[in-house]
Amino acid sequence: MRSLWLMPGQGGQKARMLAEVDPELKAQVETWTGVKLLDTEEGYQDSQQIQLSILLLQVEQIDQLQQLGWQPDLVAGHSLGVFGAAYAAKVIGKEDVFKLVALRAKLMQDSCPAGYGMGVIVGLSRPAVKKLVEQVHADDNPVYLSNQNAEMQNTISGKITAIQSVLELAKENGAAKAKLLKVPNPSHSPLMAAAAKKLQEFLQTLTLQAPECIYLTNFNGHATRKLQDVAYDLGNNLIHPVYWETMMQVALEYEPTVSCEFSPGTAFTRLLKAKMDQLQTVTLETMSIDDADFLFNKWEKK
Amino acid sequence: MTEERNWHTHRDAKNARLASASSLLNGKFAKTEDVVKVLNTLIKPGDKVVLEGDNQKQASFLSEALTKVDPDQVHDLHMIMSSISRPEHLDIFDLGIASKMDFSFAGPQSTRVSQMIADGTMTVGDIHTYLELFGRLFIDLIPNVVLVAADKVDREGNLYTGFNTEETPTIVEAAAFHDGIVIVQANEVVDKLPRVDIPADWVDVVIPADKPYQLEPLFTRDPQAITELQILMGMMAIKGIYAKHKVQTLNHGVGFNTSAIELLLPTYGEQLGLKGKICRNWELNPTPTLIPAIESGWVESIHSFGGEVGMEKYIAARPDIFFVGKDGTMRSNRALGQVAGQYALDMFVGSTLQIDQWGNSSTVTNGRLSGFGGAPNMGSNPTGRRHSTPAWQSLKPDDDPLAKGQKLVVQMVETFGANKKPVFVDHLDAEEVRKEAKLANVPIMIYSEDTTHIVTEEGIAYLYKTDSMEERKAAIEAIAGVTPVGLRSDPKEVKKLREAGIVALPEDLGVRREDAKRSLLAAQTMDDLVEWSHGLYNPPAKFRSWS
Amino acid sequence: MEKLHFEYQNSEPVEKFAHVGAVASGDLEILVYPADGEKTTLDITTGSDGFGKVWQNVLDRFFARYPLNGKFIVHDFGATPGVVNLRLTQAMEVLKDEK
Repeated sequence: MRSLWLMPGQGGQKARMLAEVDPELKAQVETWTGVKLLDTEEGYQDSQQIQLSILLLQVEQIDQLQQLGWQPDLVAGHSLGVFGAAYAAKVIGKEDVFKLVALRAKLMQDSCPAGYGMGVIVGLSRPAVKKLVEQVHADDNPVYLSNQNAEMQNTISGKITAIQSVLELAKENGAAKAKLLKVPNPSHSPLMAAAAKKLQEFLQTLTLQAPECIYLTNFNGHATRKLQDVAYDLGNNLIHPVYWETMMQVALEYEPTVSCEFSPGTAFTRLLKAKMDQLQTVTLETMSIDDADFLFNKWEKK
Repeated sequence: MTEERNWHTHRDAKNARLASASSLLNGKFAKTEDVVKVLNTLIKPGDKVVLEGDNQKQASFLSEALTKVDPDQVHDLHMIMSSISRPEHLDIFDLGIASKMDFSFAGPQSTRVSQMIADGTMTVGDIHTYLELFGRLFIDLIPNVVLVAADKVDREGNLYTGFNTEETPTIVEAAAFHDGIVIVQANEVVDKLPRVDIPADWVDVVIPADKPYQLEPLFTRDPQAITELQILMGMMAIKGIYAKHKVQTLNHGVGFNTSAIELLLPTYGEQLGLKGKICRNWELNPTPTLIPAIESGWVESIHSFGGEVGMEKYIAARPDIFFVGKDGTMRSNRALGQVAGQYALDMFVGSTLQIDQWGNSSTVTNGRLSGFGGAPNMGSNPTGRRHSTPAWQSLKPDDDPLAKGQKLVVQMVETFGANKKPVFVDHLDAEEVRKEAKLANVPIMIYSEDTTHIVTEEGIAYLYKTDSMEERKAAIEAIAGVTPVGLRSDPKEVKKLREAGIVALPEDLGVRREDAKRSLLAAQTMDDLVEWSHGLYNPPAKFRSWS
Repeated sequence: MEKLHFEYQNSEPVEKFAHVGAVASGDLEILVYPADGEKTTLDITTGSDGFGKVWQNVLDRFFARYPLNGKFIVHDFGATPGVVNLRLTQAMEVLKDEK
């Protein structure tokens, strides 16, 4: 069995998703970060609430699987998911990872002037979107090509006015879908440079270890076992596109037999299964840890 | 007076290396657990190393061991591989054990290959056709060490490679006769071999493997997945190309389009009265979908590049058709198969991911430097060839007294791929990939000048009949559907091309689209294929519905 | 789910009913009736949103080659343009055969 662990980022959060999380762990996180986790609809309007709560879900699931003796051979996190991925690969300790994400979320909140955000374009190739972005981008009206979620699904980040111009062009050029996302930051673009710089400074105060498995980087979609690459990804993924499609292609070239998607959501499993139908998949959003353990044991014997 | 030159430095070096490994060897045999020590001792920095890995058979025990050698002792290897197929083939570059690569195909590892070239972890010599690569093993890429896989070995070191002989003899020959070291992993050590495929005299070191080498059933296509569109294209091809040009000798690429044709021969082909007139002699991997045509008496002979998992018993029972040893096992040979494929065939039929406005095609797309399999050899017209077959002659222009014929090179594609991406594009992604990877040549799989026909669900473009590039482009546009290329097509121009016989739609060929039904396939499921084979075909587990 | 409507001016009247294709993933079914008025009309229900332009192109190309004047009802389940063209041309064959 060769396993690939997937950590989604923001988007799948919902009220009461922490209902079954160990209250002790939750209290600990609140102490470490000084943030009270509300786990409510209104709470999830707040980026710090979202990011810490998703990380908490993932960290608990990682702990549970690792206590049962399961370790990943490959880890991949999408955006915020890199922190869960780095924790699963034993690059960063539990307290540090929560403090780091608390700071990341705060920096993102603070760095966001009104009128910036992200858009998504479905049905055009990345080079086609790149051309449109280049047509619109200007120093006073910036827009950047950002995440590569799938071959024909890319995001753009920047000033809302510029994003809207690109979305219009995309529709004219045959995009199946082109819309604004409910994201208050131009994430994964150079506009996040100031936040990334501060995050990087904080990272330098932490003690990190080389990953114990293969880690797939957001910033260039490579597989790595080097600490410096993982550390760079944690500190700087905000200023680079997430090359998810490339990460998944590379992951599949390592011939994993099993994938395990951590909460929240199941979207990445569906994308992966479409690429490789022989893959055995587990989604912790819809399965208990006991079920996952049972399946892993079954597949391990094969 | 000059000093007397030593004319056997290679032999001296080889003997010295083998001597230094003598404590690990008992005759030619090393212990399974000593494999890493053996490689550490026998391979030196900068060596040219052939690691056997083609698109089916992998020397997986040796490739895994190679990742465990000490990079301080063994580094900067120049790897020569027909196929980069396994993760560890690239891990040795990450680990600093190897630095340069000459290869043909990298499909299963194409993203990492692109990345490693871009960040300098791997330097690429060239991306070759198989015959270029095999040829260069005897010219300027003569190996210092070759790492190959055998099924069985006897106590003297004779090798049995059987069904999956493929390129093992070619690789071994390049080393054995130029003082390279031949290291073999063997699935099994036996007292008596079924037959000798490679003599012990060519072999230096044998290591029993911990488990059998990896083998992929690459050419098996489940008839269940063949669509009506592929059946329609198959009908058009049979009538508009195979029958029209009286094609007798041929190769089919890997894919559902050609599987559909194989399954249409005993039904649609029979209805057209073509049995015995077309498709008699094949260079082809033993694809299960050809079983019904073989059983119906269409096929006279098949020579194969490699084996195919599950076809062993069937082939053993059909020695009139296949190349089979006295022991009852097929012998494959990739190098000779490619020679036959390039020089001895009337026609090659293949498929691709992209075709540009001029008719060049490639499977290299953005971010994935996949290289190519057999298509560039088989899908090219060897200009020195002279042939009298009806098919070859039928492409001869009639206005030139010195004219000669041409090989039929056919591309069969649907205008849009499964993810609704257009197959016909103005520019191949390969042009961009050449820049990114700083390659000498654009990685084109089959050149426009060699492509004689393109078949899509709309019709056939007879490119060999066109007189100018403008006309060639118009013929491609006429059958390119609603891709950006096809949208340029002018209805008046299409009419002219149809009248000139340069473009044919199904109605021009007398093919009814309504007849393109799955019931027309001689076998519709894997079970049907087993039944056609009289129970001799044994599909691999992943293709079986009943286990 | 998206509903699309197209109209054309075509010369060859459809005189019968025809039904081709299948209700299956990656496929589509087409029902063809004689035209209600002078115009050729197409009403398409599709599971793949955002392909209006592609539909337009497929139909333009089809009717340029085969100017059938009829009423077309299409239920699409994510067919590629190639499959759409196959079903349209099959409908054309069925209509011509029955004349």
